[in-house]
Amino acid sequence: MLFKRFLSLVALMILSVSGQAGSTDQWQTLQKMAVAAHVLNYQGIFVCQTGAQSKSVEIKHIYNGHDEFARNVVLDGSPREVLNQSGDVVIYNPKNEKIVIEKRRGQNMFPAILPTDLDSIKANYTLKAGEIERVADRQAQILFLESKDNLRYSYKFWVDSEYGLLLKSVMLNNRNEALDSMAFTQLTLIKSMELDWFKPKIDGKKAYVMEDVNTIADKQDSPHWRLKGLPEGFVKVDQMMRAVKGKTWPVTHLIFSDGLASVSLFIEPLENGIKPRNGRSLVGNTSFYANVAGNLQITVVGEVPEVTVAKIANAVVFVK
Amino acid sequence: MTEQLSALADNEIELADAEHLLASMQANSPAAEAWSRYHLIGDVMRGTPTLSADFKANLMAKIDMEPTVLAPNAAWLKSAAKADGNASKSGGQQIAWSMAASFAAVLVVGFMVLQAQVADPSLNANVAAVEAGIPTNAEFIPAEYLTAHQSSAPSSTSYYIQPASYPN
Repeated sequence: MLFKRFLSLVALMILSVSGQAGSTDQWQTLQKMAVAAHVLNYQGIFVCQTGAQSKSVEIKHIYNGHDEFARNVVLDGSPREVLNQSGDVVIYNPKNEKIVIEKRRGQNMFPAILPTDLDSIKANYTLKAGEIERVADRQAQILFLESKDNLRYSYKFWVDSEYGLLLKSVMLNNRNEALDSMAFTQLTLIKSMELDWFKPKIDGKKAYVMEDVNTIADKQDSPHWRLKGLPEGFVKVDQMMRAVKGKTWPVTHLIFSDGLASVSLFIEPLENGIKPRNGRSLVGNTSFYANVAGNLQITVVGEVPEVTVAKIANAVVFVK
Repeated sequence: MTEQLSALADNEIELADAEHLLASMQANSPAAEAWSRYHLIGDVMRGTPTLSADFKANLMAKIDMEPTVLAPNAAWLKSAAKADGNASKSGGQQIAWSMAASFAAVLVVGFMVLQAQVADPSLNANVAAVEAGIPTNAEFIPAEYLTAHQSSAPSSTSYYIQPASYPN
């Protein structure tokens, strides 16, 4: 169903987009970029960089009109494989002589960093064009997606001039410092629709084990707290309970997103004998914040500026 | 006592006269604390890089490790002073230079430790935040929270780069 939406979005690209900061053409380019990553067939190598860590990843992606298939293989260090079928992601993660199979939701996966529905992006960002530069031996148009407030990070995109695919993306803070970056070093479009490559490279000598799952979905409102004053543009996208080793009570885990960035909010009762946590920190592109509301320990983690994790933490109101 | 330490730090007392202060610094912990505090104040006033919270501890540890550097000179001072009455200018200066060299060596080691710490950007951030009065250290949040976040709400990079490890 999501993919029928692509076809309608391709049609939408042709219609004018009005009333946004940034010209019609630029938002059309961005819309095309959001869709291209899902509907084109391509393979290549990109470098993923965050903080001091950097990994090369080989990617192959195909869209057969119904489903999307992508295989990403990390080329440096541990040979981690990320297989994505229409948003259902399975990761094969070698760990201690075993291969752990992890299931994930596919979201904001390079080069499909943007959601295909740009409404939330238009509300929170402005768009302006830059120069043409050469990336991965291709001509690319630079687009600046700048946040309207200090609640989220900004982006610089290099969009392939010929096919509209995102070639390079850099996430920037409000001092224009790069927090992370993902960039193709080589890219080719492919014609074959064969799917025999869409499988992990099995190491017959190792045991494959499913990751321990310790969460259950839980969308009920709690009688002990409510949320008031969430930061602009962030909406709740998921909620679950997590069992954590050593804790008597499960931890409530809420996830908020503005379309590009996600933030996790953890709420749990304070435990006797354990010192409550208070403080804030920033490590690379990830902000942390912890405080106490009533008898609840609040912890917030996300790839957003520190002010945003603080606002989300302070939005939790303890109800006696 | 602390006024005398301050004067010594500002080179207002001849090192040759300060032997009792130096001896007391080793024996007397508040005096040692005062000594490092005056140097910290001096550094801040001169605009040298702000010291990390560990600098004083490291400097004191370095000083503790080098008692033999100070003691012979102190004993030498005593005997030289007794033998000479008023120590001749050149002799006194010679002794003063060795005392200065010993202190300089200790301070250089301390600064090398500081450089290593300054090179760690996360520690810099900690220093800045501590100065601002905000408790800060990613270690205070257990790693499980970051892992849970990256598992249920992955970002573009966290599919490929393993959970960031905290400094240390």
